Amino acid sequence: MFDIGSFTTSTCGGTSRRSFLQLAGSVPIAMGLGDQSFAATPKQRAKSVLFVFLWGAPSHLDTCDPKPNAPSDYRGPFATIPTKTPGMHFTELLPKLAQRSNLYTVVRSHVTSAPGHPDAGTVALTGFEENPKPVQPNFGSIVAKHRGRQGALPPFVSIARGTVMDGNRRIEGYGGGTLGSAYDPFMMGCSELGKVELPALKLLDGLVPNRIADRKKLIQQIDRVPRTLEQNGFEGWNRTYQAAYDLLMDPKAREAFDLTKESHKTRAQYGQSVFGQSALLARRLVEAEVPYIQLNYSRHVEAITPGFEFGWDTHIYNFELLQDLHCPIFDRVFSTLLDDMNQRGLLKNTLIVCMGEFGRTPKITNRAARDHWPQCYFSMWAGAGIEPGRCIGESNRRGEHPLTDPVTPKMVGTTIAELAGVDARTRAKMSVLDGGHLIKGLI
Amino acid sequence: MRSCVLLLIASTTFAAEPQRLTDDGRIKWTPVFLNNKELVYVDLEKPELTVIKRLNLTDLSTKRLHPEANTQELEPAFFKGGERSTYLKTTGGLNVGIVIRDEQKNKEALLPAEAGFCGYKSPAFFPDGNRVIFSFAQGGQQDLYSVNLDAKDRKQITSHSGNNYWPSFSPDGKRILFGSTRDGNYEIYSMHLDGKEVRRLTDCRFQDLRPQFSPDGKRIAFTSSRDGNFEVYVMNADGRHVKRITHHEERDDYAAWHPDGKRLVVISERDGSHDLYLLRVDD
Repeated sequence: MFDIGSFTTSTCGGTSRRSFLQLAGSVPIAMGLGDQSFAATPKQRAKSVLFVFLWGAPSHLDTCDPKPNAPSDYRGPFATIPTKTPGMHFTELLPKLAQRSNLYTVVRSHVTSAPGHPDAGTVALTGFEENPKPVQPNFGSIVAKHRGRQGALPPFVSIARGTVMDGNRRIEGYGGGTLGSAYDPFMMGCSELGKVELPALKLLDGLVPNRIADRKKLIQQIDRVPRTLEQNGFEGWNRTYQAAYDLLMDPKAREAFDLTKESHKTRAQYGQSVFGQSALLARRLVEAEVPYIQLNYSRHVEAITPGFEFGWDTHIYNFELLQDLHCPIFDRVFSTLLDDMNQRGLLKNTLIVCMGEFGRTPKITNRAARDHWPQCYFSMWAGAGIEPGRCIGESNRRGEHPLTDPVTPKMVGTTIAELAGVDARTRAKMSVLDGGHLIKGLI
Repeated sequence: MRSCVLLLIASTTFAAEPQRLTDDGRIKWTPVFLNNKELVYVDLEKPELTVIKRLNLTDLSTKRLHPEANTQELEPAFFKGGERSTYLKTTGGLNVGIVIRDEQKNKEALLPAEAGFCGYKSPAFFPDGNRVIFSFAQGGQQDLYSVNLDAKDRKQITSHSGNNYWPSFSPDGKRILFGSTRDGNYEIYSMHLDGKEVRRLTDCRFQDLRPQFSPDGKRIAFTSSRDGNFEVYVMNADGRHVKRITHHEERDDYAAWHPDGKRLVVISERDGSHDLYLLRVDD
C-alpha cells in the first residue's frame, strides 16, 4: 500500500481506488541522466549510501559521547552503559545500539562552522556554508550525477513528510545546488503505518496506475492543470511527469515503495513511528539499488512547536524528550535497520552514515536543557567495508571540543563520495567538494 | 539481561492477563483516571499533533477532550473527576504554557511561558483543588512551584539543583511524591507540601521515574530502567518492598492507579506499537 498525494491506493493488479495523477510541481526530482564519462570506479565500495539525518541535532553528551566524570551541570542525569566496543560507553538511553556497536564505528570529533539550523543543515549536507552563493550540491546530488538513473527509480531519494525545514525555512543545501535542479532529491514521505506518500504526485479521481498505461490520456488529464505548469515551468513539469509516469508504471519501482510486502514481524520490529517505517522504506530502496537515500528523522527541527513534527532541537525538555520519545525511537529503529541490513547481506555494499548537523551545549542551560553546539558532535558509520566496532576521535572531558583532529562536514562528504565511487578526479571534474579529504582512520 | 515474553504476563504478580484498552498503536503518554469508568491520556494523533483523549472503560470508545485544539496538548491532570483540569499547551516555537480550566464556572486561565524557549512540566492540582503545582526551569535547574486557579500568586516549593518534577499528592494531602535528579540521576523522593522534610525513597544508578501514590496512600507505582529496560514497579510508601509488575523486553511506562487501588493502567510497547493496558496488582 502506498499513498500518492493523499489517497491510499494499491500497487497490485487489483487496484481499486479511483485516483488520477495530478502534478504538484513544486517538488523537484533527481532525474539525473548520469555523467556517462564517470562510470563507477573499481574503488566504489558502496552501491548505495543511506544518510540518516538526525535533523535538529541530538545531544552528544546524552547519547553517544557521555561524560560521566564531568561536573554535574554538564554531564546530565543519565547513567552510562558499556557498548560492545572496548572502552566505549553510551548513555542508558541507547541500550540496543550499545549492544550492536560491533556493526558500526563511532566518530566523536566532529565540528561544523555554522551555529544555526538552516545554515548548519546546508553545511552538513553539502560540506559548504550557504554563503557566499552559489549553494553547493548535496552529497546525494553528487552521487546521483555520477551514477545517473538506472531504471525507473530516481538516483537520489529524500525521505520525509515534506521538505525538510527549520521553522518555515528549508535547508538551501537540500538538493542539486551548482549541479542543477535536475539532481535535486525525489521526495518520499512515509506514515507511521507505512503508507508511502509521494508529494510529487497527486492523484485525481478517475485514474489509477493500471489505467494510466495510455500515455496520451495521462497527458490529456495533466493538461487540465495548466496553472500548475505555469507556476513551475515546462522543464520542471516534464521531469515530474516523467518520473511520475515511470514510477507508477514500473513494477520494480512500485514494489520498492510497498511496505505491505514485508512481514508483520519485520514491520513491527521497525516500530509504529514515522521514522521506523521510513527506515524500512529506506532499506527497500537500498535493495532496489537506489544510489543515495537521505533518511530524515523528522521533517522539522523543533522539539515541540505547533504544527511541527517533533525534532531533535531540544532547547527545552532536552532530557525528557530524549528519555520519552527520541531515544527510544532512534534506539529501536536504527538497531533494527542495522540488524536487518546485516542479516540480508546489504551492509557489504551499502554505506550507512548517521548524524545531526551539530551537537548540543555541554553545559546545561538556564532552561535545564541544551542549546546548539557546533564545536563538537558525533556520527555513526556502518557498511561499505568500514571496519566496525571502533571509536574514532575523542572529545575533551566536558564534550566541548575534539582532542583529536576535527572532522568537518566536507570530510564527511568527501568520504561518502569516495566510498560511492566518486573519486578525486571525478569530483574535480564536477567541481564539487573542493579541498575535501577523507576522514583519517575511518577508511 | 532479562526474561523475554510475548505478552505482559508471566509474573505471579498478576491475577489475570492484562486487558488491552486501545489498539491503534500510536505513541501515548500520561494516562490518568477521571473516575472508575473513564480515563484520559495523550495521543500522538499525527506526527505534529498530540491530543488529549478520553477513554470510556465500558465500551473502550475514545473521543478528544478538546476537539478544536490544533496545537500540542500534554500532561493533563484533573480535580474531582474533571470539575477542574490543567494541562500543557504549546503556545509558540518551543514555548509551552499551562492551561487551568474550571469546567463548572466555564473559566480558563493560562500560565504563559516566558518569552523565548520556555516550557513548564507536570501540572497537577493540590488536594483541595485550589492551586496547581508544576515544574519550571530557570538557572539551570527545574523546580516545583504553584499558582492559584487564576495562574497567579506563584510560590516556589523546591529550590534544589537538578530537575524536579512528576508531583503526586498523598491521599491525606500531607506529602508530595516527586522525581528528581538532585543527586545526579533520576530518583524518587517525598516531602511535605511546603517542600520540607525531603525523604529519598529509591537508590539506583538507573532511572526511577513518574511516582504515583495509590488511592489509599500505602503504595507507590513507578517506572524504572533498573533491570535494563523500562518496567513498572510498585513499592511501599516508605520505599521498601519493591516489586516488579511488568516483564517484557519492550517498554512499560506511565503507570496510573485505577480508583479501586487494585489495578494499574500502563502504556506498553508491544511489537513496536503503544497501547493502554489495564492490569491487576496483588495487595
